Amino acid sequence: MFPPFEEYGTSLFGAPSGVSPDLLESARLVPPVFVPRRLEKLIELGREPLYGDVSLSTSIGGFASSLPLYLSAFGSTRVAGSGLGAAASAQAAWLGIPMVIGENVVPTHGHGRVDGASAGTLLERLRAYADAVPDGLGGVVVQQSTEDADAEVWNLVYSDPSALPLLESGRLAFELKVGQGAKPGLGGMTLVDSSVAASVASLYAVDQSLGSGVLRSSSPGTFTDEILRQQIRLMRNNFPRAGVWVKLPPGRDVGVAASVAWAAGASAVTVDGAEGGSGWAPLSFAAVGLPLAECLSRIGTPAGCLLASGRMWEGTRVAKVLALGARAAGLGRAALLAVDTDPRAGLVRFVEALALELRLLLSALGQYRADALTPDDVWFPGQAERVAEGVLS
Amino acid sequence: MSYPDAATAPPDPRTHLTAERTRHVLGLQHRMLAEARAFLGARGFTELLPPVIGPVTDPGGRGAKQVDVDFYGHRYKLMTSAILYKQASLLGFSKIFYVAPNVRLEPLETTNTSRHLAEFHQLDVEVAGASRDDVLGLLQDLVGHVVRRVVEDAGDVLEALGRDSGAFADLLGGAFGRLSHATAVETLRELGHPQSADAEIDWAGEAILSEKHARPFFLVDYPKGSRGFYDRESTSSPGVLRNFDLIAPEGYGELCSGSEREYDYGRIVTRMRETGENPAKYGWYLDLVRSGIPASAGFGLGVQRFTRYVAGLDAVWQATAFPKLPGVVSP
Repeated sequence: MFPPFEEYGTSLFGAPSGVSPDLLESARLVPPVFVPRRLEKLIELGREPLYGDVSLSTSIGGFASSLPLYLSAFGSTRVAGSGLGAAASAQAAWLGIPMVIGENVVPTHGHGRVDGASAGTLLERLRAYADAVPDGLGGVVVQQSTEDADAEVWNLVYSDPSALPLLESGRLAFELKVGQGAKPGLGGMTLVDSSVAASVASLYAVDQSLGSGVLRSSSPGTFTDEILRQQIRLMRNNFPRAGVWVKLPPGRDVGVAASVAWAAGASAVTVDGAEGGSGWAPLSFAAVGLPLAECLSRIGTPAGCLLASGRMWEGTRVAKVLALGARAAGLGRAALLAVDTDPRAGLVRFVEALALELRLLLSALGQYRADALTPDDVWFPGQAERVAEGVLS
Repeated sequence: MSYPDAATAPPDPRTHLTAERTRHVLGLQHRMLAEARAFLGARGFTELLPPVIGPVTDPGGRGAKQVDVDFYGHRYKLMTSAILYKQASLLGFSKIFYVAPNVRLEPLETTNTSRHLAEFHQLDVEVAGASRDDVLGLLQDLVGHVVRRVVEDAGDVLEALGRDSGAFADLLGGAFGRLSHATAVETLRELGHPQSADAEIDWAGEAILSEKHARPFFLVDYPKGSRGFYDRESTSSPGVLRNFDLIAPEGYGELCSGSEREYDYGRIVTRMRETGENPAKYGWYLDLVRSGIPASAGFGLGVQRFTRYVAGLDAVWQATAFPKLPGVVSP
């Protein structure tokens, strides 16, 4: 039912490619012959534009970002708590891209206030980011789940002096986690030692023994359209100086949910495709949830800032989701692997490679701004007529 | 040593406690509490002693953090308000009040509002079977009684504090007006203040409204999504809460919040989710609610804020012996 428990804490999990039809993988980017935006750029520059002339800076959920990328939440996955979280934070900051700090970080790793910033704590990641981020760029987004609400993670961050520089420069947001891609309909899952299980039994379900560990499950949380709407409004009411992000699972009503979130005032809506996730998930959930491409299709033209995550590891895939309506793509598992490979500069090198790929791809498509791609730039097998219309129009 | 003004942090305890001004203010507060107790006692209220810690407390709003207490290995909270206990207490008495200490780790942006303390007290009143109109009338009578007694019996203290007792002529001369949240939003927007229609009136907006009034007034009908789960949602106007704030004039701002309360189990659980709460941690409260608690209405009147208004103080910390401003380490 589950991945081998011996690998827990040392391996990153996530949907293996090919388990479910990944339409994004089979889609192709399709450059046009005629490129009016390139002509505009040519006039602006007074010379033929090249890929180096593509500007990738953009706005993500109220934050200025150097790239159409952000660091997704790693959650309480033990792999992410062992110092890599802070290393990733500092590199994301240096790159000037926003970062999401995952749910359950406080109940799992502690908040690090009275006892000092011990490894893996929320405030350690926050400080690591704040210390390295350039002026005017980036931002930190703090998730809170149902169990985190007991620990008042948002209230803690909002009233903590270490968050003040980010708050005062408009670079703090809170993310309401409605669900996630790897296991839509379930809450977060980790394996804990039996001694730890006893201490968290009042907060989580800890009822399944797996090997030498115990499965610790968060609740998925109960949402209706009214509950989502009111939770967002209350976040805006209680934390008026912080942005509000909403993370949606790849549910079949994802389009409606995104509309509710934007109408209630969310500054960004993240949709996590069924391909997403780095944490522990039951094997049966490999076949649960909508693929990211279908989520984007059901959302259609976004009524606000849309963000997409799910197996974002190379530039073509990022460019495709940008073309399909997303303002930016979230880096999860690939970012963790990069940091694990080189805790000092792994993420920087990975993101710089992505940025180069994006510049090449955008310039090939005749576009020179990160937000300029449209669905016409993507071709799905069997949808030739769509491209034809785009070229002719 | 000259007494510091409100723009500076509170002085050391000796300077503060021995200042003549502090002694006037705290003496006035003592008198106000005595009058409030006499008024409520005469109306048939029972004063109960408030709980200080519990497994849950008022989830509150506007970003304040609760204080955790290690209760034999269980996470308990210091009371941010005793609202849940007030409702429960109505199982024994139909009209109750507390003079209750509350602790809220307010966001640091409140340090300089002149009206926030991390530790403060509320005159906490709850009435079984009461409507919002009932408790609005009660609150107006209570405030009127206390102010009248102060003006008539402690005019010398007001004078020593530089407070013109004429400031209360309007308060004592007529009923407090009512302003709906929707109208307040409209008014503020007309004045160029960007007030959200879905949120509480922000502090700047509240100050603008407060300055425009000569006597205290009630702000009523807040939108759902701006308050806790226990404020009752209107059955005839869904999305509107049967709640209120009492706003003092002259820029002093909010003195008191209150509402009709939710008491139906299913409605409370749903509202808990709408406010992002985990119902599981409210076990004892929900067990009581499931087996029935009285419908009620009530309010919490900030003792230090009320004192500040009556005494005409620059800042609310001047109305407490050991002030604790948000984020300021102090005794």
